[in-house]
Amino acid sequence: MRKGAAILARKKRYMLGYAVLLALLGLLLAMNLGIGTVGMRPGEILALLRHPGGQSAQARILWQIRFPRTLAAALLGGALALSGFLLQTFFANPIAGPFVLGISSGAKLAVALVMIAALGRGLALPSAALIAAAFAGSLLSTGFILAVSGKVRRMGTLIICGVMIGYICAAITDLLVTFADDANIVNLHNWSMGSFSGVTWANVRTMALVVLAGFGCAMALSKPMGAYQLGPVYAANMGVNVRRLRAALIVLSSLLSACVTAFAGPVSFVGVAVPHLVKSLFGTAKPLAALPACFLGGSVFCLFCDLLARTLFAPTELAIGSVTAVFGAPVVIWLMLRRQGGRDDG
Amino acid sequence: MGDGLLYTKDLAVGYGGVTVVNGIELSVQPGRIVTLIGPNGAGKSTVLKTITRQLAPTGGAVVLDGRDLRAVPERDLARTEAILMTARPAPELMTCFDVVSAGRYPYTGRLGLLTEADRAEVRRAMDLVGVTALADKDFTRVSDGQRQLVMLARAICQRPRLLVLDEPTSYLDVRYKLKLLTVLKDLAAREGLAVLMSLHELALARRVSDTLVCVADGVIDRIGPPEEIFTPGTMARLFGVTEELLAQARAEGLRWEELYGF
Repeated sequence: MRKGAAILARKKRYMLGYAVLLALLGLLLAMNLGIGTVGMRPGEILALLRHPGGQSAQARILWQIRFPRTLAAALLGGALALSGFLLQTFFANPIAGPFVLGISSGAKLAVALVMIAALGRGLALPSAALIAAAFAGSLLSTGFILAVSGKVRRMGTLIICGVMIGYICAAITDLLVTFADDANIVNLHNWSMGSFSGVTWANVRTMALVVLAGFGCAMALSKPMGAYQLGPVYAANMGVNVRRLRAALIVLSSLLSACVTAFAGPVSFVGVAVPHLVKSLFGTAKPLAALPACFLGGSVFCLFCDLLARTLFAPTELAIGSVTAVFGAPVVIWLMLRRQGGRDDG
Repeated sequence: MGDGLLYTKDLAVGYGGVTVVNGIELSVQPGRIVTLIGPNGAGKSTVLKTITRQLAPTGGAVVLDGRDLRAVPERDLARTEAILMTARPAPELMTCFDVVSAGRYPYTGRLGLLTEADRAEVRRAMDLVGVTALADKDFTRVSDGQRQLVMLARAICQRPRLLVLDEPTSYLDVRYKLKLLTVLKDLAAREGLAVLMSLHELALARRVSDTLVCVADGVIDRIGPPEEIFTPGTMARLFGVTEELLAQARAEGLRWEELYGF
């Protein structure tokens, strides 16, 4: 039957898409672990991974530096792409994302404030406190964007507002960082530029907990999110509790992008570029298929960008946001141009 | 009134606590088509939004299947009432089949996966409305009329007992208007579907409805079968047509039926 053929063709495309993403993920994991000032071949990496307690220089580089950093890039990249997908569902617009709406910058400001306050008193901050601060900052920015979105219907205006919030928060953060006097200011400076470097295993455990829980919650919402793609009125008629869904989308997307900001600082454009590329690859925006794919896509994208950030001009590292912007921003521009040509309902 | 699949008790509707229409007493029976008519801005859409729980009543109550609408669980409501409103969704990367299958929401499991039975329902609804050929087309790339029929198929495959439609024929050309209304008539007659809608095309409202409800000046002006409602006096009062205007029209050679468009 023709209808059966269509379903089959779609399944094939999903399988192909996942195969491509998983292959890229495997390749990039190996490259991120193996490439650096001390090169390691895949065979060596496997041997070292089998014996966690190794004391050789290679073993320590792999276990204490590259492995946690690689996992962090994969987890946080996935979190950013998910956060973008949730925001795009919420605003019914493919250009929405945690960075362009100023949500990441709000988180960054809050984290900087908390860090400086703690450093000034000589306190070490647990990861959870950083995430909590970033989450609070995210929610503040999001609250502002929601208040504005109640007044302006045009998505373009909303994004300009988001970018402006981003600038204001970034300016205040820079001021704080510049005038904070402490020996640890170097760390703070690195973080505020955006980087996956210096991630510890304890960090990885915390972020894995938050990000995977966030992913689970997002998957649990895939059915109502799918209905919401037809708009709030029809979603409500099909039995979706729209108010609860909208609140869940905002809280989840803020939490995910907050986790990224807390550990890696600002990382731009992943949230818009990756979901778009993934949806084009899979030919669908159905959450059940697209959410895991977005997560994988975000991992692949950030692993690739982090690899470039630390190897391109080694030993000098680039800010991760600079690299993601080079690859992500053109996708966003292309999206805006395409929408300008077609209908503009936002 | 006070019986039927859906009825209202001294219902008042409006936005933000401000009542637009009050004292509404209407009921819809299975297999019957009830149509709201009246001038623009009279509050027809507001009534329909209240009956489908998009708005809370500002007074009185809506009773659905013997229960106060406010107390009906979401899934029960979704299985009883389906809607076709004026909002025009523009979902990303959805085929017409995907859009119609969204109507199976209240019947699918936690993940929303379609069973073979669900797919059969989707195909049945698309056949009924005559949009089977569009199944694999992108929903945002078909014509306005086709999109409206696809949205009707979506509502039908939700298997409701009551279908609520707000100006379903607006902006459609004759072919799609006729198709849409024929499908409604057919479903009411053969499957006992109750239909409540608003129409501004009086000729169509007269042909297709069992009961007409005149909404004007913040109240339900009259309720009755078409032959009672379509009289010069009632029409003139409903649409605020003065004797003077009628006389002018007559002088220009227009009969009153033509004046109202049927």
